[in-house]
Amino acid sequence: MISKEDIEHLKDLARVEFVEKETEKLAGDLGAILAHIDSLKDADVSGVAEAVRAIDLKNIFRKDESAARNVEADQYQTTIALISAFPEKHDAGHGTYLKVKSIL
Amino acid sequence: MTIKEFHEALKNKKTSVKGTIVSYLDKIKKENKNLNAYLEVFAEESMARAEDIDKRIEEGEEPLELLGVPIAMKDNILIRGHIASAASKILGNYVASYDAFVIEKLKKAGVIFLGRTNMDEFAMGSSTENSAYGPARNPFDSERVPGGSSGGSAAAVGGGLAMAALGSDTGGSIRQPAAFCGVVGLKPTYGAVSRSGLIAMASSLDQIGPIAQSVEDAETIFNIISGKDGLDSTSTELGDHGAKPQKRPGRQADKIGVPKEYFSEGLDLRIKKSIDDIIGKLSKDHEIIEISLPHTKYALDCYYIIVPAEVSSNMARYDGIRYGARQNAPDLLDVYKKSRGEGIGLEVRRRILLGTYVLSHGYYDAYYSRAQKVRALIKKDFDEVFKKPARDATPASNASRSDTGWHSVVGGVDVIVAPTTPSLPFKIGEKSDPLSMYLSDIYTIPANLAGIPALSLPIGKIDNLPVGMQLIAPHFGERRLFGLGREIEKMIK
Repeated sequence: MISKEDIEHLKDLARVEFVEKETEKLAGDLGAILAHIDSLKDADVSGVAEAVRAIDLKNIFRKDESAARNVEADQYQTTIALISAFPEKHDAGHGTYLKVKSIL
Repeated sequence: MTIKEFHEALKNKKTSVKGTIVSYLDKIKKENKNLNAYLEVFAEESMARAEDIDKRIEEGEEPLELLGVPIAMKDNILIRGHIASAASKILGNYVASYDAFVIEKLKKAGVIFLGRTNMDEFAMGSSTENSAYGPARNPFDSERVPGGSSGGSAAAVGGGLAMAALGSDTGGSIRQPAAFCGVVGLKPTYGAVSRSGLIAMASSLDQIGPIAQSVEDAETIFNIISGKDGLDSTSTELGDHGAKPQKRPGRQADKIGVPKEYFSEGLDLRIKKSIDDIIGKLSKDHEIIEISLPHTKYALDCYYIIVPAEVSSNMARYDGIRYGARQNAPDLLDVYKKSRGEGIGLEVRRRILLGTYVLSHGYYDAYYSRAQKVRALIKKDFDEVFKKPARDATPASNASRSDTGWHSVVGGVDVIVAPTTPSLPFKIGEKSDPLSMYLSDIYTIPANLAGIPALSLPIGKIDNLPVGMQLIAPHFGERRLFGLGREIEKMIK
């Protein structure tokens, strides 16, 4: 069972907020899901290796150069698209300065 | 009209691309208000592309098999210059800056994108009720869900609002809505189709695949979108397995496995009967054997550890810093928490929290590591059933019993048949707690965990609601799915 304190701690770890009403239901929902998941304890996994992926993979190397999809497309347009998606910008630099909160 | 029929008509100058697009746009205009299958329709762009293609055909161009075909695109697949929101508020204004691999392929094939379709937010859900833009509805009964998460794509094809569509399938998100909307849906082998340009949910399970009106149409689209891509290192060339249709010399009997775990408690008896009828008909030309996949009972729980774990990591990028709405707060932690709290829906946040929990220190071994081991066992169940027995092995020497039941009673199975869903399409609002919703994917999840291909195709209706049947093949066995799928289609007609 997950305690209320655990949930508050997880919210911080996961960087995600829930309003009060959602939080109340959350403990119950997570509890029910975790209780269900508990059935895995019955599975005999002794000597079994973890399957991280569904298919066997080997490491793949490639040349250290740009592999962008639309190479023929105007790179400038791509930059503009990325900048315009940014939620906050500064007028300086013709609006190409991106605004974020200071970390320190 | 199927892709095949349209292509024939276009080749013989019996139809025009423009006329076809106009009729689809008209139907969308009339019916999408109710169905909410499309979040956005690219009307002008579609018309311009249609006129261009008609002109080219008039000038003598020989149409390729997908030229001018109107296709709907799930809202988590990137089309350069168009919004891709994954039906989330946090990506509501996100405009894709590049084309997904599958989009690039379809553009080259001359496809016309009609619009982007509704889905469960970030593909998390089984009913398309988790969309930030309102639920989509089932074209056969608007009180009911179209399934999910690719519910908009399936509703569009099932309701005649698109000739075909693409969806994505992490635990059944193509097959379950295809079953609910009376259409064909394919989840390809993991790695058969590049995930580049697909908004990631659970990267070890996600696959893009076609939703179509016929098995043949699904195969045509699959042949175009599959193949190796340098931008997805898990993608592979199909190689000798070849997805290209090959004429089989005469009729060849398949060994069809019927897994008893998929027909037990929880399956609607009417669905069971529909599938049993088909199996009965198949037994005339094929060998039918009962098989056991003993770890099936763990699949759902295994999935609901692995998926939230991968989700909690993949969703970390939606932090309100680079795209979407940013909420202001005194310190950075609260900016993250508030932006995500406001911009991301409840089910997605619930999975982020659950994933964070199962991956956190002290719980990793009990949950995530154990789930990955169980995943290996589920995969092994399939491997053993599909394994070709050695030539001199008799069935008796190939059988063994263990305390968990039958193990590889008989190997050499070509295709497994099973229901796609345990129930008929349910009512909107019917499944309000997360667990009961999760259970609707119980028959589709194992194929994702094992990375093997699976196809759902319609086999009839009960109370005017469509029923789907699922075919499952070994890795890169898509051709077998298409072959048997076409046979079943003929039986029903």
